[in-house]
Amino acid sequence: MDDLTEMLKGTLEGCVLEIIGSEETYGYAITRRLNGLGFADVVEGTVYTILLRLEKNGLVQATKRPSGLGPPRKFYVLNDAGREELARFWAKWEYITSRIDKLKEGGR
Amino acid sequence: MNFWETMTGSDLTREWKAFETRAKELPADYRAAWEEIKGHLSPYADFTGRNLMPILDNALGLLEETASDGQSIHEVLGDDIEGFCAALAGGEGARNHRDRWREQLNRNVAKKLGRLGG
Repeated sequence: MDDLTEMLKGTLEGCVLEIIGSEETYGYAITRRLNGLGFADVVEGTVYTILLRLEKNGLVQATKRPSGLGPPRKFYVLNDAGREELARFWAKWEYITSRIDKLKEGGR
Repeated sequence: MNFWETMTGSDLTREWKAFETRAKELPADYRAAWEEIKGHLSPYADFTGRNLMPILDNALGLLEETASDGQSIHEVLGDDIEGFCAALAGGEGARNHRDRWREQLNRNVAKKLGRLGG
């Protein structure tokens, strides 16, 4: 599906939190995971800026580890604040989707 | 950073040189992207451009990591380098000229209004 980017923008941060929440991971793997889900437009730069923001807001813990070749990679895990933020994201998501579904079904 | 460096910006020149040395090691399409990134980030610079240094360092770091992975520059930045730069600068809290002008204007207006009211 094309042109999902605009709609995705606000939710991408939550998606990245969810992916980090399921296992310790790094930027490239997160991007590929999102691509695999069908979000083809998401590039590593997008994920990178989100990761910087999450780190700055104290929602993740980052650890630098050497990689097979090239510079070390940064791995991310959620901390307590991150897990709380993720729970808030899903609550908001639930609210929005239930409202929009209602609208679509013609309810009031 | 010592006083002399602050006044002359000589530490900035040195940092710029270090960036360019690192950038030279990148593949050609990455170097082109680096030039574009610098262009898109410059509106976010403060008077000396010092606030951009950590942001540029981050951006260059990403280019280095992904280039050594053998990813294409398109896989890394897509078509929207400007958007990437805005997100980087915003994420780091860079304040651009417009923000500061707006603040100054607000302050001046508030001052004038205060004088009228008082």
